[in-house]
Amino acid sequence: MAAITCQGLTKRYGGVTAVQALDLAIAEGEFMVLLGPSGCGKTTTLNMIAGLEEISDGTLLFDTRDVTRLPPHKREVAMVFQSYALYPNKTVAQNIGFPLKLRGVAPAEIARAVAEVAEQLELTALLERRPNQLSGGQRQRVALGRAIVRHPSVFLMDEPLSNLDATLRLSMRSLIKRLHHKLRATFVYVTHDQAEALTLADRIAVMQGGVIQQLDTPEGIYERPANTFVASFLGSPQINLLRQGLPRPGWVPAGREVVIGLRPEDVARPGDGLVTLSGRVELVSPLGSETQLELSVGEATLTLRVPKDWRVAEGETLDVGVDPARLHVFDAATTMRIAP
Amino acid sequence: MLARFSYDDRSAALLVLPVMAVLLVVAAFPILYSFWVSLHDIVLTRPLRRPFVGLENYWRMLGDARFHTAVLRTTVYTVVTVGVTTVLAVGVALLLNENFRGNKLLNTLLLLPWATPSIVNGLMWKWIYDPTYGLLNAVLLKLGLIEHYRAWLGDPDLTLLLISNAAIWKQMPLAALLLIVTMKAIPDDLYRAAKVDGATVVQRFVHVTLPALRPGLMLVLVYETMISIRHFDLFLIMTQGGPGDASYTLSWLIYVETFRSLRFGTGAALSYLLAMLTFLLSWLFIRAFGERNG
Amino acid sequence: MQRKLMLGFFSVLFVLYVAGPVLWLLSSSLQQESEITAVPPNWLPPNPGLHNFTAIFTAGDSAEYANRGLSGFLPSGAANLLPSLYNSLQVGLWVAVLNLVFALTAAYAIAVIDFRGRRATLYTVLATRVIPDIALVVPLFLVIRNLGLINSIGALVVTYLAVTLPFTVFILISYFEGIPRDLYRASRIDGCGHWGALRHVYLPLSLPALVAALMFAFLTSWNEFLFALVLTQSAAAQTLPIIIAGFVMDFTTSFSFVNAAGVIAILPPVLLAVLFQRYIVAGLTAGAVKG
Ligand SMILES: Nc1ncnc2c1ncn2[C@@H]1O[C@H](COP(=O)(O)OP(=O)(O)OP(=O)(O)O)[C@@H](O)[C@H]1O
Ligand SMILES: [Mg+2]
Repeated sequence: MAAITCQGLTKRYGGVTAVQALDLAIAEGEFMVLLGPSGCGKTTTLNMIAGLEEISDGTLLFDTRDVTRLPPHKREVAMVFQSYALYPNKTVAQNIGFPLKLRGVAPAEIARAVAEVAEQLELTALLERRPNQLSGGQRQRVALGRAIVRHPSVFLMDEPLSNLDATLRLSMRSLIKRLHHKLRATFVYVTHDQAEALTLADRIAVMQGGVIQQLDTPEGIYERPANTFVASFLGSPQINLLRQGLPRPGWVPAGREVVIGLRPEDVARPGDGLVTLSGRVELVSPLGSETQLELSVGEATLTLRVPKDWRVAEGETLDVGVDPARLHVFDAATTMRIAP
Repeated sequence: MLARFSYDDRSAALLVLPVMAVLLVVAAFPILYSFWVSLHDIVLTRPLRRPFVGLENYWRMLGDARFHTAVLRTTVYTVVTVGVTTVLAVGVALLLNENFRGNKLLNTLLLLPWATPSIVNGLMWKWIYDPTYGLLNAVLLKLGLIEHYRAWLGDPDLTLLLISNAAIWKQMPLAALLLIVTMKAIPDDLYRAAKVDGATVVQRFVHVTLPALRPGLMLVLVYETMISIRHFDLFLIMTQGGPGDASYTLSWLIYVETFRSLRFGTGAALSYLLAMLTFLLSWLFIRAFGERNG
Repeated sequence: MQRKLMLGFFSVLFVLYVAGPVLWLLSSSLQQESEITAVPPNWLPPNPGLHNFTAIFTAGDSAEYANRGLSGFLPSGAANLLPSLYNSLQVGLWVAVLNLVFALTAAYAIAVIDFRGRRATLYTVLATRVIPDIALVVPLFLVIRNLGLINSIGALVVTYLAVTLPFTVFILISYFEGIPRDLYRASRIDGCGHWGALRHVYLPLSLPALVAALMFAFLTSWNEFLFALVLTQSAAAQTLPIIIAGFVMDFTTSFSFVNAAGVIAILPPVLLAVLFQRYIVAGLTAGAVKG
């Protein structure tokens, strides 16, 4: 019911440009994640889509309808805020029912809809409480409830999970994913947490400095990062990016200045078709299922993740095999990816 | 047509309309109108002839002996009132900023003078100063400070100070409140640090409290000056400018000129002079205090 | 120990200074004219009674007052006291209520909406706040006279609105700025226009500031003297301070009667100040500190 098209979307605050000519086409029912470091313009973009920030330049379409100048209450989008933004003077039931009340829905119908949403989000026992009597996770669910009660076709979420503790964040993440499957609405989700982005997104737009650096599926972003910024922003631990010390794949033109990237997990025991790197193990950090280690190869130090049954010890010499096809090559000057 | 203005612009225009209408009609327009009046020779007893006289009203008043007296009286009154109010307010703020039993009650009492209408304030002090039945005479006699009852307000040397005293009583609470707010914002760590350094109570007051109080003090000084320099109510109710010209202040002069002599032109010119004086003074205060602060 | 003594000593001084004069006024109002004119004075009323207040509330019926055998003259305007009390109440309530509506909407627009002319609006409000009353008196008198509003309650209401609005708008703006912006955003998303956001978010959450603004507007109107003196001429519109000032300047007036009138004028503002102390102090200091 609602595809979102941003054409040259720009936001300026006085002399500062927060978002620069952003083009983004979000398909109907798609789960789009805006990912990027703090201050890159994610919230500003989301607020422009919501109508909460005036658009300085460019056009915003919902399907084919131009909504660039439409005030937020006419846009029929739902939004979940990082701070939850529950009305402190209203009960949980009133908070959830509020959007319906504003639309003139009959009280009985509101009560029914609120009960249904509460059931779905396990809030039924809390309906008469006020927000200050709820835990963070409960507040977040109320905020979600307030958003879904209207059955909107567009959901906007601004770091909805960042105030929750780690376990709660995981369960809320899967709740949101299930919601998306069930509602089949268009989701635009802002986060700076790459794990959230990778697990939730149909597509991810990685932003930096008010500009989209790469727009692709999670696999695409991870497997084929468009530049060194995207490459190092995703992946934990970070990708190893080196000018020297890693083997140059054969197809890289000789003489061209490049940066080679190796994901920490892209190593194996030396073998056929693999280039062998030999180095000294400087540091071993067991992670349970895997082991993270630092290997100094010549001048360079690589961070690697290996199966725990390798049983390496600090100080020993280790040979690892690297598949040249899994190396990432970037132009040293432009930082852009060079494909074979 | 309206589409040129966004929803925000249109809503805001509607929402500020009532306030702007009131302020424009009842404040902004009269001020401009008053300037026009001050450039004309308008006397209410002669309503048809109102010639344009340029700045003559201003020159006439600047050269008028009553104006000179009024400036002097206003200055004395303002300096005394502002000075004593500020000192008293610092004392009261220091007292009320302490934690002790009864502190709440004193805080409530502090609002009593503030809430008292200025006319009742004038009536009350006039009654206290009453030459025959007043409290002041009785108390001072009892304490042996005077030997005979005196007509306090009739003494030209004292009148202004006695009016000032009434004004101080009413104005001190707000000043104290402002200072208390400023004091509460001083971090306790500053005092602890000073204590650790071995500072005495007095040293702590001079080196910690006073500097931190500077923004509050500036506020109090500006505010009290603005209030005092244009104060009118007490002069009307207590002395009407007298005895002689002992309490003939600028605001009283404006009142006499306008509503007794019905010379609106000069009255308006005087009002402008007073307004400019007020702005000038508060500007000076802000410069003097603000800069050393920053 | 020494601290305790000091605090006690200064507290007593403070109480004497602040409450003493008012207590004496109160004491005088409860005495008969013969008692109040005793030399040396009676500190406390020897036969405390409400006769002066009764006189006021029987509409200054001088015959009855005289029949009670009380010495002293009733002021010529005594019969105006009750109507003026009513006028004062009326003016105060109108100013308070209109303030609430006007200041609320304007403060919302200035604090929340990013509209063209926002700065200009803010500066206009600020500028009118620093204009001294005395400079307004002459032109305002002329304007009100030309509008034919002299000697009407309406003239006072409009004037007091102009005097109080800059301050109440300010109190509300500084309060609104403390309300989380996300609540506003959420309400807009949920379907509120600006009117809805004001009604559903800002209004219910700013009760303390609203009380402060209401109190400030009412007290200012109740206490104001200069404008009332100039803009009203007969009992039809004159407020309490005007009538009382008339008594004080009338040399034949009975002191006890005037003092009782003073007590009546002091009572409502003091009661309100005590009841709403917390809000008033917060409002006063917030408005002043921010300005
Ligand atoms: N009201 C404003 N005035 C001026 N600059 C602003 C304003 N709001 C945001 N900015 C600037 O715009 C840029 C983008 O801000 P935005 O809030 O969109 O970042 P973000 O990606 O959401 O960051 P975070 O992850 O920290 O929330 C920042 O550099 C910020 O300083
Ligand atoms: Mg953000």
